[in-house]
Amino acid sequence: MKLRKFVAASAIAFATMTLTANTAYAACATDNLPSGKDKPGGYPARALTMVVPYGPAGGSGQVAQAMAQAVSDLTGISINRDHKPGGSGTVGMTAFMATPPDGYTVLEHIDDASSAHALDSTKPNPATDLIPLVTSQITFSQVYIKKDEDRFTDWNSFVKWVKAQNGKATIANVSKEGSMERITMKFITDATGMKIQQISFDKGAPRYGALAGGQVDALFEQPGDVRKFLDAGKFKPILTILKERPSAFADVPSLSDAGLKFEPLFRFRGFYVHKGAPADRVAWLQWAFQKAYCQPSYQKYNESKFMTLIESFRDTAGTRELITATVKQYRDVYKEMGLAVK
Amino acid sequence: MDAFDNFLTGTVTLFSDPLGIMIFFGGVIGGMLFGAIPGVSMLTLAAILLPFTAHLSPEHGIMLFSVIYCTGVYGGAITAILFNIPGAPENAPTAFDGYPMTLKGQAGKAVGAAVMCSALGGTISTIIMMLATAPIADWAISAFGPPEIFALVFFGLAVAASVGAKTFWKGWLSILIGLMVAVVGLDPVGGIKRYDFEMPYLLAGIHFIPTILGFFAVSEIFVQAEKKAKGSYVAPKLSVDFPSLTELIAHKWAVIRSIVIGFFCGILPGIGATLAAFMGYNEAVRWSKTPEEFGKGKLEGVISSETANNAATGAAMIPLLALGLPGGALTAMMVGVFQMHDMEPGPLVFINSADLVWVVFAAMFFANVSILFVGFLETKTIINLLRIPFQFLAPMILLLATVGAYAVRGLTIDVIVMFLAGVIGFFLRRSGYSVAGIVLGLILGKIGEQTFAQAMQMLHFEWSGFFDRPIALGLLIVGVITLMGSVYGEFFKKKPPAAETPTS
Repeated sequence: MKLRKFVAASAIAFATMTLTANTAYAACATDNLPSGKDKPGGYPARALTMVVPYGPAGGSGQVAQAMAQAVSDLTGISINRDHKPGGSGTVGMTAFMATPPDGYTVLEHIDDASSAHALDSTKPNPATDLIPLVTSQITFSQVYIKKDEDRFTDWNSFVKWVKAQNGKATIANVSKEGSMERITMKFITDATGMKIQQISFDKGAPRYGALAGGQVDALFEQPGDVRKFLDAGKFKPILTILKERPSAFADVPSLSDAGLKFEPLFRFRGFYVHKGAPADRVAWLQWAFQKAYCQPSYQKYNESKFMTLIESFRDTAGTRELITATVKQYRDVYKEMGLAVK
Repeated sequence: MDAFDNFLTGTVTLFSDPLGIMIFFGGVIGGMLFGAIPGVSMLTLAAILLPFTAHLSPEHGIMLFSVIYCTGVYGGAITAILFNIPGAPENAPTAFDGYPMTLKGQAGKAVGAAVMCSALGGTISTIIMMLATAPIADWAISAFGPPEIFALVFFGLAVAASVGAKTFWKGWLSILIGLMVAVVGLDPVGGIKRYDFEMPYLLAGIHFIPTILGFFAVSEIFVQAEKKAKGSYVAPKLSVDFPSLTELIAHKWAVIRSIVIGFFCGILPGIGATLAAFMGYNEAVRWSKTPEEFGKGKLEGVISSETANNAATGAAMIPLLALGLPGGALTAMMVGVFQMHDMEPGPLVFINSADLVWVVFAAMFFANVSILFVGFLETKTIINLLRIPFQFLAPMILLLATVGAYAVRGLTIDVIVMFLAGVIGFFLRRSGYSVAGIVLGLILGKIGEQTFAQAMQMLHFEWSGFFDRPIALGLLIVGVITLMGSVYGEFFKKKPPAAETPTS
C-alpha cells in the first residue's frame, strides 16, 4: 500500500522530532543562555512590531501575546502586535514580507506557512526565506467524543460504530483542504478503513458547540484548545495522535495502541525575522525570543495549553529541520492525493 | 426567583468594585459619545478598546463591551437626527424623520424622543433577556445546528429584502449585491480563492464595517457636498426643546409594537437591530392613520425606530450567549473579548461563567437606565455640533471614518473599500437601492454560506435532510411565506403611498 511506503519513508523525516512525554520542566531548554545581552549598536532603539496573521483571540493570537509579554519582561523592549488576519495566514505573511528588513518587525506564524509552501513553492519557505527565531509551541491532536456518549465509549467501539454507519458518521474539523487536520484525518481513515464525513468549521466555538450539542459525532482538535471542556468533564479524548501516550493522557490510546501506522503531523507555532536583517540584530532577537521561552510567564502559559507534554522548543536550526521535514512530508502527501503541487 | 437573585448578585458584583464602576460609566459615556460623533461609532471605540481588554478581568472586559453596545446603539441616533448620518445601520430609519425634524428646528424634540425610547426599549428587552436566555441556552445547542442557522439566515434575508429600497426589485438587487460581495476571499469550506484578482489582501474578504462607514458616512458627505456645490445646502436650525410626556404617551402603541418587533428581530443573527429598526419604522407607517406624514419629520418615526433598535440589543445577546452566534458587529467583537480571556460565548458560558453572565446582564440593565439620565445631559452638548460649518465638519467625518475603517483589521484595503463604498453608495442611493440591504446581504451572506456548506456536509448532500429537522423546516417555510408575501404585495396588492426616505 502506497500510504504504508510513504509512512515508512517519512518516519525518517521526523526523526528529529524528539518527543519527551512525561518531561518535567524543572530545567528549561534555554536556561544555559546568558541572562542579558548587549544591544548591538543601540538596537533596538524603539518598540518592535510583531505581525500576527491571525486574530487576537485564537491560539496564534494568544501565543503572540504571551511571547511578546515574555520578551518585554526580559528585555524591557515593547512589542506592538499587529494582527492581520485573513487568507489562512496569507495576508499577514504578505504584509510582513513588505516591511523593511531592519530587525524591527518580526512575524508569528504556524505550520500553515509550511504546508502552504509545500503546495506552492512560490510562497515563502519559512525555513529558508525567513530566519526562525524560535519555535515555542509544538502540539499533537486528539479525537474527542462527548463524555456522556453511549453509542461508543472508546476508540475501538467508535471505529466499529462509524463503519456501521456506512459514511453517515460525522466529525467536526477545520475547513481548509490540505491542512494538517485534513491530512491527518486522511491518514486515519486510510489506516482504519472507516468512512466519516468531515464537517468544516473554521472557528473553534461553533466546532466545539457542534460536539457539545450532538450535531456531530466526534471532534478533531488539539488538547490545549479544548482544555476547558476536558476540565469541565464535557469532552473525552479517545485517540491521541502520537506514537506514545503522554502522561496527561495515560489512559487514552496512542497511534501505536490503536494499530495506526503513520507519522503524526504536529501543530507548531514560532517567530521569524527577515532573512536580510542585520546579523547582529538577528542574533539579539534569537537570544531574546529563545530566552523568553523560558520566562516563567511563558512557561506557565504553555503549561496551561498542554504545550509541555511534548518538547515545544526549537531554536533556529531545530526549527529549520522541523520545517524542512514538514514541507517534505506534506509535499509527498499532496502528490499522493493528486493535488497540483507547484 | 432565581433570575432575580442572580440579577441582584450581578448588581452587587458590578457596583461593589470601584474599578468596575469606573469602567461601567466609562462605557456608558464612551458608547454615547462615539455613537454620537459623526464618522466614528461604537464599533470604532470597541475596535480601539479590544486589545486593552486583554488587561482587564473577563467580567470587566465583557461588561464594558455590553455597556458600549447598549449606549452606542442609542448614540448613533444623534448623528442620524442631526446630520442624516446614522451612527450605525440600525439608526438609519431614525434619520428618515429625525433629520427632517432637525431641518424644521425640532432637533431637541427628536433627540429627546430617541433618548426616552432607547432607554425604554433597551430596558424592557434586557429584562426579557434575563428571563429567557438561560432556558434558551439549555436547548439551543442541540436544537440549532448549521441547518437551523442557515434556515434562520434565509428567513432574515427574506425579510431584509423589503428594507430600505424604493422598489421590490431594487430591494432584492441590493441584497444580492451584498451576497456577491460576501463571497470575495477564501471560501469557508475548502479554502478556495474567489475574486481575489491575485491580490493577497483580498483573500481576507470584504469586511462589513468599512462598507457601512462608506455607504452611510462617506456617501452622506458626498450628498451634502453636492447640495453645497449646487447652493441648496441649508444649515440645520438649533433647538433644545424636548418632547413632553403627553406627546410620548400618545405614541404608546408605537412603543409597544416596536419593542415586540425589536426583540424578535434582535434574535436573528447578523442583522438584529438593523432589521428591527427598519421593521419598527415600516410597521409604524403601515399602522398609521397619516402615513403620508412619515419621512417629513414625524415624531412617531423616530420613536418607532429607536425603540425597536434598542429593544434588539438585549435580544441580540441571546444568540450570542446561547449559541456563540454574534448578532452584529459589536457582538462579534464581544466574541473576541470572550476569547481573549480564554472563554467562548455559547451555552457553556452559563455553566463555566454564570457569575460573569449576570454581571453583564446587570450592566446592560443599568446602562439602558443610564441612557435616560446621561442622555439628556449629553444631548444638550451634542446638539451644539450643529454650529460647526459643514466645510469643517465634513473633513473631520472623513478623517474619523478613515481611522475607523483602518482600525478594524489594520489593512489599507479596508480604507479603499470604505471610499469605494462611499462613491458607489452615493449613486445607489440616488437610484433608490438600499445600502442597508447591501450591508445585510454582506453580513448574512458570510454566515449563510458557511452554515449552508456545513449543513450540506451534515446532511450528506441530500436536500431532503432539511425536511427531517423541524426547526429548520419551520424557518424555511416562514421564509418562503415571507418571500411569497412580498411578491404578492408587489404584484397583486394595491400599494399605499410610499413614505419619503431622505437618505435614499
